[in-house]
Amino acid sequence: MIKFWKKRIQNKLLTEHLTHDKTLSTLQKELKSSIAKQFASSLNIRMVDSGSCNACESECNALSNPYYNLERLGIQFVASPRHADVLLVSGVNTFNMHPHLLDAYAQMPSPKYVITIGDCPLTETSVYEDSFAIVGDVAKHLPVAHHISGCPPSPDEIIVGLLEFLKGLDKS
Amino acid sequence: MDRLLARFAQEVDTAVEIVTIYEKAGIQKELVDEEYFLSLQSTHPSSAWFERKIHDDFGLKIAKGYDNRPFWQHETMPSITAMKKSFQATSQIERSTTPQPYRYKTIKGEGVFQVSVGPIHAGIIEPGHFHFSQAGEQILHLDIRHGYKYRGIEKMCEGKSLDALFPLLSRVSGNESIAYQIALYQLKEQALKKEITPNLTHAILLELERLVHHCTDIGFIPNDAGFGAALSMASLLAEESKRILFTLTQSRFGFESIGKDIALQHKKNELQTYIDKMNSEIQWFENWIMDIPSLWDRLDTTGILTAKQALLYDTVGVVARASGLKLDRRDSSFYRHYGYALQREKKGDVAARFILRIKEIKNSLKIIENMLNDVTEYQIIEEKTYHDGEYLSYVESSIGELMMYLKLKEGVVERLFIRDPSFINWQVLHLMMPRDIIADFPLINKSCDLSYAGADL
Repeated sequence: MIKFWKKRIQNKLLTEHLTHDKTLSTLQKELKSSIAKQFASSLNIRMVDSGSCNACESECNALSNPYYNLERLGIQFVASPRHADVLLVSGVNTFNMHPHLLDAYAQMPSPKYVITIGDCPLTETSVYEDSFAIVGDVAKHLPVAHHISGCPPSPDEIIVGLLEFLKGLDKS
Repeated sequence: MDRLLARFAQEVDTAVEIVTIYEKAGIQKELVDEEYFLSLQSTHPSSAWFERKIHDDFGLKIAKGYDNRPFWQHETMPSITAMKKSFQATSQIERSTTPQPYRYKTIKGEGVFQVSVGPIHAGIIEPGHFHFSQAGEQILHLDIRHGYKYRGIEKMCEGKSLDALFPLLSRVSGNESIAYQIALYQLKEQALKKEITPNLTHAILLELERLVHHCTDIGFIPNDAGFGAALSMASLLAEESKRILFTLTQSRFGFESIGKDIALQHKKNELQTYIDKMNSEIQWFENWIMDIPSLWDRLDTTGILTAKQALLYDTVGVVARASGLKLDRRDSSFYRHYGYALQREKKGDVAARFILRIKEIKNSLKIIENMLNDVTEYQIIEEKTYHDGEYLSYVESSIGELMMYLKLKEGVVERLFIRDPSFINWQVLHLMMPRDIIADFPLINKSCDLSYAGADL
């Protein structure tokens, strides 16, 4: 254990992009609706891969590494749609995943929101063409509140996207 | 026994031809004139998924096989023979209102119960279904089902030129993007009738991709045993590796980087700094993690795959090498010249796969460092006169041996078959279960770290 603590002290604080903390605390003050206020201090996300290449998932996993340390902002990924406020959807929405995606959304308690991530969920930006195996455009089947673009978006872009989503909550 | 590499079907004029590829015997073809074809499952159990895919692709029945369930044709998907030329990739299909139930392979008996997991799992992970037969905590059998991410990629590639495929094949399986691109690039070189010359830029990028993947795994494996500190430490190494990939290719995954001049010779200093840092960090990590007995309690003797089983199921990559097989597509004079040494372990358990990854990380760093001295200007291929024919390419991705088969006709893709290493290795996962309890499953699964997207295509 001594090895570990020595290393911890040597490493110091690794978290980057500390400006996000400020953005969030201003947001918490400025947001008016009570739901938005609560979400801005605790947002639970359930990620569903509807047919991606796993790069978006890899970047979402990277969000919890010490450089990005997403959980400090009160945003965390949860294990069940029943614990979630946000359904984060990646991938092209395949024929075989489509019913399960709708299922996951139906299992979430209200108020609930859908955020799409990556270029795949939008037909215009997806590298995949329309095909028999792809249902496509998530926004046609679920009420998408926000989209985080990029192929894949970098962890920092994802954090910025999530904060933007929180900002927009007051308007909706 | 001759290792089975792949089995698939393709249309020749109006008939269907089954193509079987072995390591020694090479490509074997037989025309099918009946409604069915003869299964190889009794001698090569790993042919099961290939044959199930042939069934879905062309509507042929599997004769004398013990597993003839559909693969990517799920309950509500109508019976379509998607790979036949008469079927259009863009056609719309209606969801069937009379779903065909999927028959899971289960063990029944007094007190034995079933646990279904997935397709959506309790983490940030790809979709797949795991069906356990349980006697209390003890796993009796695991039935794995895939196809949730089936995007029809092979069909999508048909009728396209080789150059048009790079953006798509970059994004089949994010963990193996560079390997996919190199495999495609090698097909391109063959179709241009060029000699395949080992390319240092490609080799360095491939090793960097392996570093990203292995570093992620050496964090996630202990994390699944409840040791989160290792994930924090190893995820830093994975992040550093992704960042150096971004510095080199402008993509943290190396998307669309092969075949382009990334001017590696001007970025030697950045790479050298990265390697020096990684060398000391991985050494620290190893010294530290080897000293945690409670972790090794979980890793040792968990999820054993014997060499005999690994051989019987034609496994490849990390899984095969951790069980003692000498199997690595990099095992060539070119790589050995740059310090490559085939790494393997004998025990075939989670611990062996974990240690093997650490060894491979160290070896990859050494290879990159040695190659770096020799990197010169990148030669872009300008020619576009492709010759029709059949071509095969192999690349050792971070998971294992990736294989691609290409048939080019009139300059465009007539058939592209991709055999992801995961497609073979998924089929052996259930053999690692019966001595363990269900709580060990995530640990065993992560130690193999197979791609769902690559298996489904």
